[in-house]
Amino acid sequence: MDPAALGGAILHIAQPWTFFVLVIGTLLGIVVGAIPGLSGAMLIALTLPLTFYMQQFDAVVHLISMYVGAISGGLISATLLRMPGTPASVMTTFDGYPMAQSGRPGRALGLGITASFVGGMVAWVVLLTINKPLSILETRFGPFEYFTLIMMAMVLIASVSKGSLVKGLISGLLGMLVSMPGVDPATGMPRLTFDWYMLIGGLQLLPVLIGTFAVIQIIKDSFDVAAKPERTKVDTGGVLMSPRDFRRHGVNMMRSSLIGTWIGILPGIGASIGSVVAYTTAKNVSSKPEAFGTGSEEGIIASEAANNATVGGALTPLIAMGLTGSVIDAILIGALMIHSIQPGPTLFLTNNDIVLGMIAACLLANIMMWLMMTSSVKYIARLIYLPRGFVLPIVMMFCVIGSYALNNTMFDVWVMLGFGVVGFLLEKARIPLGPFVIGFVLAPLAEEKLRSGLMMTAGDFSPIFTRPFPLAFTLIAVALLLWPILGDWRRKRSGS
Amino acid sequence: MGRRHICAILWAQVSRLPQGNFEPLGSGRVPKWTAAIDMVCCLAVIFAWFRQLWIGAEKDAHPDENVGGTPRTALLLGVLTGIYVGLLDIGMASLGLITFWFLTLLILRLESFRCRVLVPALITAAIAAFGAEYLFTNVFVVDLPK
Repeated sequence: MDPAALGGAILHIAQPWTFFVLVIGTLLGIVVGAIPGLSGAMLIALTLPLTFYMQQFDAVVHLISMYVGAISGGLISATLLRMPGTPASVMTTFDGYPMAQSGRPGRALGLGITASFVGGMVAWVVLLTINKPLSILETRFGPFEYFTLIMMAMVLIASVSKGSLVKGLISGLLGMLVSMPGVDPATGMPRLTFDWYMLIGGLQLLPVLIGTFAVIQIIKDSFDVAAKPERTKVDTGGVLMSPRDFRRHGVNMMRSSLIGTWIGILPGIGASIGSVVAYTTAKNVSSKPEAFGTGSEEGIIASEAANNATVGGALTPLIAMGLTGSVIDAILIGALMIHSIQPGPTLFLTNNDIVLGMIAACLLANIMMWLMMTSSVKYIARLIYLPRGFVLPIVMMFCVIGSYALNNTMFDVWVMLGFGVVGFLLEKARIPLGPFVIGFVLAPLAEEKLRSGLMMTAGDFSPIFTRPFPLAFTLIAVALLLWPILGDWRRKRSGS
Repeated sequence: MGRRHICAILWAQVSRLPQGNFEPLGSGRVPKWTAAIDMVCCLAVIFAWFRQLWIGAEKDAHPDENVGGTPRTALLLGVLTGIYVGLLDIGMASLGLITFWFLTLLILRLESFRCRVLVPALITAAIAAFGAEYLFTNVFVVDLPK
């Protein structure tokens, strides 16, 4: 990575308007991440229509800063309410809340904020160093390599999703199917339109995303809208970590950051699992494992360093390969596509300024997040007590306007509502929605690669089994499919 | 069951598509096979469910997420939103006005029609509805539904 070019991107962000966009994005992310029931995925999906009126560079900076802010903001409600603002902060509740209840909320938040910052910075260094080599490797990939890589990612996503592997696969395949109505880009023939002209343009990404993330969350929150959380007073004492704290927790912070980064890079796993693995590792190597779950400083640091590190980690395959690490990344890929930016190995050639903007935004948003949260966590914490009866209707209004603004058509609004209901029913049937969205985003790319590959080989599938990378990706996918079945069989055998 | 039916309908639809002329797969193969695999997965889930029923296995260990509250509020929210979008679709009034009434009603309902919420609800609804209308019409220049 050329340091001068990166410096140029940082200077570009330092210009007043772009900097304003970064600050607002980070702040919005922190606030939305902090309010239970509102998530980063929902924020990005709802704010996407507003970015249509920005330049590509500013839009990317805005989206990345919201992503960083949203993952970090979850720690506030996890610590003060025992309700994780984002799923990635679940592990923080185990130690953050007991510490806050024992009269040290400032200390709990301070440890989490600094750990988040360090996690973000470690992942940023990894993003900076391995992105370009990875994308150079990717340019040697042909259509079969790409197709099998996406299939492997889909299986991985399904296998680590909440619930069973089969339900994850059902969700992913349904997402793929839903992306297919409309005019087939290869032949120009309408398919799955049911002779209805509105479906010729296909189902747009934004209404589907808003429906499956924002509307579902509103429906779920409305079940228990009257619940009022107990207030915790936040003092700012202990928000800043001392050099002694860094010496005590440095190893844990670095280890958890590296775990988070690595898990972020793996397709489909995401921040929640990153923080679980880092927390469990910290507990296993700790000299006081019994303190975990009762307000352990190590627990807060492990969880928060890892979940923020997954952001930079997940951006690596997103930029270099066009693959997603989590639901927010899938939305981010969709957002980039709407802005005519195709993530993947050629992004460095076609939109190098955008790549640099993403990397620079990741760095600056992390710094901004730390500054904002350490200086104003006391005030941001008050926002988590906003009455849901006021918040939910306004979010619903933005869902409607946001879906409409994409193409100025009410059809998209009905699609959004329809997917809200469908998604809610899927969740009730315990079918995870993550694979659905990732399938929806990745299916067109997978189909395009498969069909162009088969055109090159005149319909011959053998390159999947004769070339090294496609064969390796296929074997990994098969192993991931068989692993839970074998595990079940072994469990039953040992049980009997 | 519903998901399997959706896949079956999609499978039947794409089966009608012709073979590709200049490429091996054509438009229908990928959706057709995706629907077929999804149906197989759905059948596997249904089979597992019947098997559990047959052997009388214990229920899923994971409790339902929505344990608190009542579905009545969620249902009302859905109905009100449906009416709101329907009114916007037929263009009964301006977006600001319809949104104002939608927000007022919904806020009051979600706050259990408490008298002291009335004024804050009206103010919030007015600012959000007419503010959003102004923002999208004059700043982002979007043709909002009329």
